[in-house]
Amino acid sequence: MTTSLIGARVPRKEDYRFLTGAGQYTDDVALAGQTYAAFVRSPHAHANIRRVSTDKAKRAPGVIAVYTGADLAAAKVGGLPCGWLITDVKGQPMKEPPYPVLAQGKVRHVGERVAVVVAQSAAQARDAAELVEVDYQPLPAVASAAKARSSGAIHEIAPDNVCYVWALGDKNAVDAAFAKAAHVTKLDFVNNRLVPNAIEPRAVNAVYSRADDSTTLYVASQNPHVERLLMTAFVLGLPENKVRVVAPDVGGGFGSKIYLYAEDVACTWAARQLARPVKWTADRSEAFLSDAHGRDHLTVAELALDKDGKFLAMRVRTTANLGAYLSTFASCIPTILYATLLAGQYTTPVIYCEVTAVFTNTTPVDAYRGAGRPEATYVVERLVETAAREMKVEPAELRRKNFIRQFPYQTPVALCYDTGNYEATLEAAMKIADVAGFKDRREQSLRRGKLRGLGYACYIEACGIAPSNVAGSLGARAGLYEAGEVRVHPTGTVTVFTGSHAHGQGHETTFAQVVADRLGLGMEQVDIVHGDTSKILFGMGTYGSRSIAVGGTAIVKALDKVVAKGKKIAAHLLEASEGDIEYDKGIFKVAGRTTIHWTSSSPG
Amino acid sequence: MSVRVSMKVNGKPVSADIEERTLLVSFIRENLRLTGTHVGCDTAQCGACTVHLNGKAIKSCSIVAMQAEGADILTIEAVAHPDGTLHPMQAAFKENHGLQCGFCTPGMVMNALDFAKSHPNPSEQEVRESLEGNLCRCTGYHNIVKSIMAGARAMAAAK
Repeated sequence: MTTSLIGARVPRKEDYRFLTGAGQYTDDVALAGQTYAAFVRSPHAHANIRRVSTDKAKRAPGVIAVYTGADLAAAKVGGLPCGWLITDVKGQPMKEPPYPVLAQGKVRHVGERVAVVVAQSAAQARDAAELVEVDYQPLPAVASAAKARSSGAIHEIAPDNVCYVWALGDKNAVDAAFAKAAHVTKLDFVNNRLVPNAIEPRAVNAVYSRADDSTTLYVASQNPHVERLLMTAFVLGLPENKVRVVAPDVGGGFGSKIYLYAEDVACTWAARQLARPVKWTADRSEAFLSDAHGRDHLTVAELALDKDGKFLAMRVRTTANLGAYLSTFASCIPTILYATLLAGQYTTPVIYCEVTAVFTNTTPVDAYRGAGRPEATYVVERLVETAAREMKVEPAELRRKNFIRQFPYQTPVALCYDTGNYEATLEAAMKIADVAGFKDRREQSLRRGKLRGLGYACYIEACGIAPSNVAGSLGARAGLYEAGEVRVHPTGTVTVFTGSHAHGQGHETTFAQVVADRLGLGMEQVDIVHGDTSKILFGMGTYGSRSIAVGGTAIVKALDKVVAKGKKIAAHLLEASEGDIEYDKGIFKVAGRTTIHWTSSSPG
Repeated sequence: MSVRVSMKVNGKPVSADIEERTLLVSFIRENLRLTGTHVGCDTAQCGACTVHLNGKAIKSCSIVAMQAEGADILTIEAVAHPDGTLHPMQAAFKENHGLQCGFCTPGMVMNALDFAKSHPNPSEQEVRESLEGNLCRCTGYHNIVKSIMAGARAMAAAK
């Protein structure tokens, strides 16, 4: 038996280029005739725009064009779409206000785009952007989710600033269980807003080719095909096959580079108007103002227990701040990816979760690192830990008492767990943390005038965001499958095309391990290609811990087909029946007889 | 206003006519097309733009190119041996998984090279303090610290 490459410690294939400065990030791409864009952004959280004057900016040195919302409206450029439909407690669709690429008469958050200047140099574009005169009439603004419902309307379509009220679980059963509880633990939570801040700022470089009427877009994105689909089908009305999106090396995403952003659309549209490449790279201040933010929940959560500490029910009410507009996946984060995780590792028989999603005059909020699931785990584990302390039970003991031990287990919040062993993981963690020795360590710390604490969190994650039929039934407006293609060259080396996208995950190594292991090749004989819609058939990209689970599975399915074809060829070469051919790590053989290496069956 | 600047970059003399306000990092990236030096924050916080100026690590986003007139500049592109073999510090980053997305990496390596000159066998604490001006969003720093400790020792051993 050869040792498996899967899971083996190997040096990363991508490291050499990153360590020698040979990585190719979007801002590194320079095209012939390159121009540069700068955006004029609102300094107000909420204001009417009375007038935008671009005359001075248009006369500034190096300026090629200045566009405002009026230009985009005249060109019938659409708004940014939302990719997930949430249906509210009354069966009504969520409120979807228009999300303009450049402001249309009103700005709704600080940093919203009002105009874009295109110039010969980045510095000239920025200088000219300062010459665009915008006459704002400030309006009352609301930033806090708690005050959103009692504030003036941000969008006509949502007079109370509510996007939806959504619920999951059996409310009556939960209320009944609480009525007979021996103990109730109740907590208020603020899960604060944060800025993702990938170290590479967002960037885009769009170029139009008159030769074949095509547009190529280099963009720091986690999912180039999704970017292309949303931009062509919903915003610019371009044929999808005439647009190529390349997401080259990307310097971290953390969710913030999943979405279709207005800057991407504006640069693409401008590049087509001007027949010149248009590049924009965010500075760090723009990243703070315009990258989709994360979290921002206010939650009241309650856990009902019987006198022995068995969980009877959980009740969670969350107000989620979506910001000023609906970002690409904003609607599913505080709902589908949140409430479904509230069972955690426990047998809580009934759970009810109600989420009120509100608009505020803040930067839009969307998926960030874990996206809804960490928020849920925080709620569950804080409740459980607090309940243990209130009931004076060892926190680990209370958890053990309530662990799910029979699988499959259908939770009251939609998910069905196929397998798990929570006792084993808790025990392992307690051993590593030396819980038994904690008392001594705490006393030692006290003697040194320091405080030492110990807390538990038992965690379950829903990785992958798939399969498509489940996602679709929950409101996803696209399937959440993945594409993988394995191309075998005549010499036996292999190129793998994946719809997953790496922005720090190391797919070029991980996927090569999977493929090399199965085909009995060296990792250097396997190349992984990702991030270019012109090379890869399709892809849903990387987020929600889906690369190896979904993208990796697609590659393995493709490998199955390659092996099946290899068996046919080996059968012919070995003059045996196809059914008698066995395959293991690059070797085809007729049971007990001749062997043939994988490279011999390749089409060379 | 345009101004002529001349300096040595990676051992080669270079000169160009540039706007006076051109930052050193823009000169390196745009004029010389050495794109291994990155801009992460444009405010001297993140260190992705770190290069060596006369042997000292500096943030190239925070000085104008004119200030480097006549200077000797080293960027990440010239750190490895000319035959492509990684420098011991680069090799240590690779061995210790000290990078993920790679964007902060050139700045990390350039800073570490300068630090290691005066710290042949640094403690973890010293390395962590040396990273005060370099931000990474992927790794959580732990493996970067291990990389720099190993790299500094390897550099000292190679002397």
